[in-house]
Amino acid sequence: MAQTQGQPVKVIRQRKEGTSALARAEERTALWLLAPTFLTLLVLAIYPLGQVFVQSFTDARFATAGHETSFVGFSNYRNLLSMTIRELPPRIDEETGQPIVQDGVTQFESPFRILPREPVRYGAVGQFGFGGRRYVLGATSPDFIRAIWDTLVVTVIGVSLQTILGMVIALTVATKFLGRGVMRAAMLVPWAIITVVSARIWEWMLEPDRKGLFNTVFSYLGLSDGFTNWTGNPSLQLPSLIAMEVWKTTPFMALLLLAGLSTISGELYEAAEIDGANKVRQFFSITLPLLMPTLAVALVFRTLDTLRIFDAFQVIFGEGRLSMASFAYFQLIGARNVGLSSAASVIIFFLLFGFAFLYIRILRVDTE
Amino acid sequence: MSKAARQTIGRIFFWLLVIIIFFYLMFPFYWATVSALKAEPELIRTPATLWPQNPTLQNFRAVFNNQAFLRGLLNSAIVAGSTTLLSLLVGSFAGYALGKLRFRGKAISLYTILAMTMFPQIAILAGLYQVIRFLNIPTTLSLILSYLLFSLPFTAWVLTAFFKGLPSSLLQAAQVDGANMMQTFWQVLLPLTAPALVTTGLLAFIAAWNEYLFALTFTAFNRPAQTVPVAIAQFSGQIARQEPFGEIMAAAIVVTVPLIALVLIFQARIVDGLTAGAVKG
Repeated sequence: MAQTQGQPVKVIRQRKEGTSALARAEERTALWLLAPTFLTLLVLAIYPLGQVFVQSFTDARFATAGHETSFVGFSNYRNLLSMTIRELPPRIDEETGQPIVQDGVTQFESPFRILPREPVRYGAVGQFGFGGRRYVLGATSPDFIRAIWDTLVVTVIGVSLQTILGMVIALTVATKFLGRGVMRAAMLVPWAIITVVSARIWEWMLEPDRKGLFNTVFSYLGLSDGFTNWTGNPSLQLPSLIAMEVWKTTPFMALLLLAGLSTISGELYEAAEIDGANKVRQFFSITLPLLMPTLAVALVFRTLDTLRIFDAFQVIFGEGRLSMASFAYFQLIGARNVGLSSAASVIIFFLLFGFAFLYIRILRVDTE
Repeated sequence: MSKAARQTIGRIFFWLLVIIIFFYLMFPFYWATVSALKAEPELIRTPATLWPQNPTLQNFRAVFNNQAFLRGLLNSAIVAGSTTLLSLLVGSFAGYALGKLRFRGKAISLYTILAMTMFPQIAILAGLYQVIRFLNIPTTLSLILSYLLFSLPFTAWVLTAFFKGLPSSLLQAAQVDGANMMQTFWQVLLPLTAPALVTTGLLAFIAAWNEYLFALTFTAFNRPAQTVPVAIAQFSGQIARQEPFGEIMAAAIVVTVPLIALVLIFQARIVDGLTAGAVKG
């Protein structure tokens, strides 16, 4: 501290000549003041990022005896991203030579027999039908492709729901009514609960039998038998996770939108009222356009935040279902595969970068 | 329909909406509280009861006897507290420079810091982990340092907005009185930003208290250094049985209530801080 404090004084004395002495001193002070911040960011972000980038081209392993790290080019990336689409032929009955049909549904060959195994083995990511034929998407790292897909699904659906719900909450709380203070306080509660804790609360509410709140309520309402395995059934896993994520993060969205709403002048609404515009009309022709910049910033924050989702996935599903970030985590800590984990991290980095770039482009179009 | 009738219906609809929103926001927290107050037999009874029949504090007692959890609380307090102080100190320097001083490269500095707030932590996980192991930095210290990655850009950004809001005449008056730029900073401007420091510090503290990815990775082979999110994620009972959800919920309440209390006290300022950090960007 003493050094940074002494510095500007010295500078002033050295450069008494000229009118810009004060300006130069100001510049020196500013640079000294910014130095610790940029030094920290350099050491914590730029250097490790460079390290990750370099290691993504190696087969580095963590704490593995007798392993020499060597340069492997793009092999990690190829390994993570190689995909293929193959058509699944119908299964043929060996006796009749006809396709096997069970309960009116044509049976197809198992993807395992169709997908290539040489030179690298492909696993099935998923199947889809198109024009009466059946295809399988295979990948050399089906887990990673699934993780990217799942993260994108959670992001798109989650952020859309957060935006709609956040808007409803913000508009409600922006209205003057008795108990508005209580509502504003209630709004901060999910935001203040740490993510791991809210994941465990939801995990408990989603218990697979009627110990769980959701199963109890659903069975009371006659909507289920009370034994829905919310976090275990693959088709219910993402909806459950999205429900938790939306609950946790909608308040943040609502807060930002509320701040945006408070900047819109009330006179505009009075004028619209005189012109006879109803509430819905007012929302679409006054509120929404004026809220656009705020909404855009909120969307950038929420999208980038959801793309790097880790806590909820790791706590609720462990290795059972992966987000992009938890894939990279388990490759590093579980499999000790530094090279592959680094390559996955680089891919995530560029994906986020792409989203940010896209948003900024769209924003600029909007402001013009 | 008459105008009065329409207004009444509108009002009923509005209040219904308010109640639904309140219920939606608060219910999971209510459920955690209620579950924490239930004893094991009631906790595993089906169907679940909406209200504890025999409220008991035994889950809370178990939590306060859980050494791993208590150590987690202490570790979290140390890590989040140190992170907050460090990022406030360093961040206020940056905020002063960016908010009040003139120099070349200001815009690019601002954009770099803003970009950092969106930095994906996962992208540097492997690299940071190896740097820490190579330099043999103790786990707690490594957590404090690595948390600066997200708390520092945030505090710097928000404090820049606050410094910018202070009248420049103060700066000039101090200079006329013969104070140099650092004296102006320490003696004139910093005391004026005290409220902003409290708000920003609180937000940085919550973020650090919340952090899980680095904490989980860096403490993977050093369990005594676990922070509270990691301890709660890996909570297990004294006896080998199903997951002790009563105790987990009690632990959840214990770590949440102080935060909620703080958040409610600083309610209005938090909203300002969050929006200064986000919307003004």
